[in-house]
Amino acid sequence: MYLALFLTPWVLMYSVSTFVMNHRVWFRGLYGGPPPPFVLEREMNYSASFPGDATPKQVARQILTSLNLDGAFNSSRRGRDGAYIIQRIDPITPRRITYIPSEAKLTIEKLPWESRAFLERMHRRRGYQHDEALEDLWAFSVDLFIAGMLFWILSGLWMWWELRVTRKLGGVFALGGIALFGFFLLAI
Amino acid sequence: MTFPHFNRRLHLYLALTLLPWFLMYGISSFAFAHGDYFEQRDKAKGLPLWTTRFERSYSIEVPDTGDLRPVGERIMRDNGLTGSFGTYRESANQLDVYIYTFLHSTQVKYRINEKKLIVEDRRFRFDHFLTGMHGRGGFEQASLLDKLWGVLVDLVCLGMILWIATGLYMWWTVPRVRAWGWLALLGGIASFALFLSKL
Repeated sequence: MYLALFLTPWVLMYSVSTFVMNHRVWFRGLYGGPPPPFVLEREMNYSASFPGDATPKQVARQILTSLNLDGAFNSSRRGRDGAYIIQRIDPITPRRITYIPSEAKLTIEKLPWESRAFLERMHRRRGYQHDEALEDLWAFSVDLFIAGMLFWILSGLWMWWELRVTRKLGGVFALGGIALFGFFLLAI
Repeated sequence: MTFPHFNRRLHLYLALTLLPWFLMYGISSFAFAHGDYFEQRDKAKGLPLWTTRFERSYSIEVPDTGDLRPVGERIMRDNGLTGSFGTYRESANQLDVYIYTFLHSTQVKYRINEKKLIVEDRRFRFDHFLTGMHGRGGFEQASLLDKLWGVLVDLVCLGMILWIATGLYMWWTVPRVRAWGWLALLGGIASFALFLSKL
């Protein structure tokens, strides 16, 4: 019970976001189109020195720190002009930062807030691939949620079995669910 | 039947009915969250993921813009392929049709300039089977059963919301666990808010 109470926000987020993703076409109509693209937040001259052998990841980290935008990110280097493209994966306001060393120019774009896109981002956020400790903690919370679900299933089954009065009807519901699931597994 | 009694029964029977879905979403989430691990494990086997079923000459008009789904549908019909599907423009010269059932996936590559069709089957992988089930939903497919699966996904969402509501009610009706419950609930809300603001 305490685990369920602690994980209530996660359960709520995963269920609402699943509903939104299940009705993507309907929500597209409701919101008048797909989620909005990046919009310009600011442009600035930016000069910084980086070690000669710096990787896009190292460059990105230095830039993000200087902008007070630390956190999980993906980075790459564009072949055409050598620009560094940094995707700052902020759950509320994701940003794309483009740094062109030859022009000493930095562009920051952000995704405008939209509840549908926010829910989908949160739903898909997982894994231990980033360096930030907090990001690992989030990934751990996702693992905890998974463990919680499996524990609730097992403990729920045990509690059902202990309640003699609900055993029969509960068995009917459980078998009905299993049969329905099995049917769909083979049919589609 | 009193309301607390109804509430307890709803909580229990709902969970028992939706148990296979909870189990599937739980286990498949693990496959998603640790996708790299499963990829590495499979890579070590050294087996190809796709095998060619057939290649043949084929011709169909592919529009430059607009909905590609009718083209995918026609390709499938002409080549005896069935299942849920999506049609994607892989490149200017290639159209892909991805056909999937819970147990089997097929991809069709149509090379526009060469007028050539390649049909490949994907080797069964348990992690892909799980993630495929997890990701399946929506109401875009024409078949009634696919739409019914979409309805079941909605029911699972509703079931989870009802699970929260009935669970909160059950917690509130037991005064001796209220204080610790508050601690757990507020701790969870605070942790979630912290993640949102600091991630």
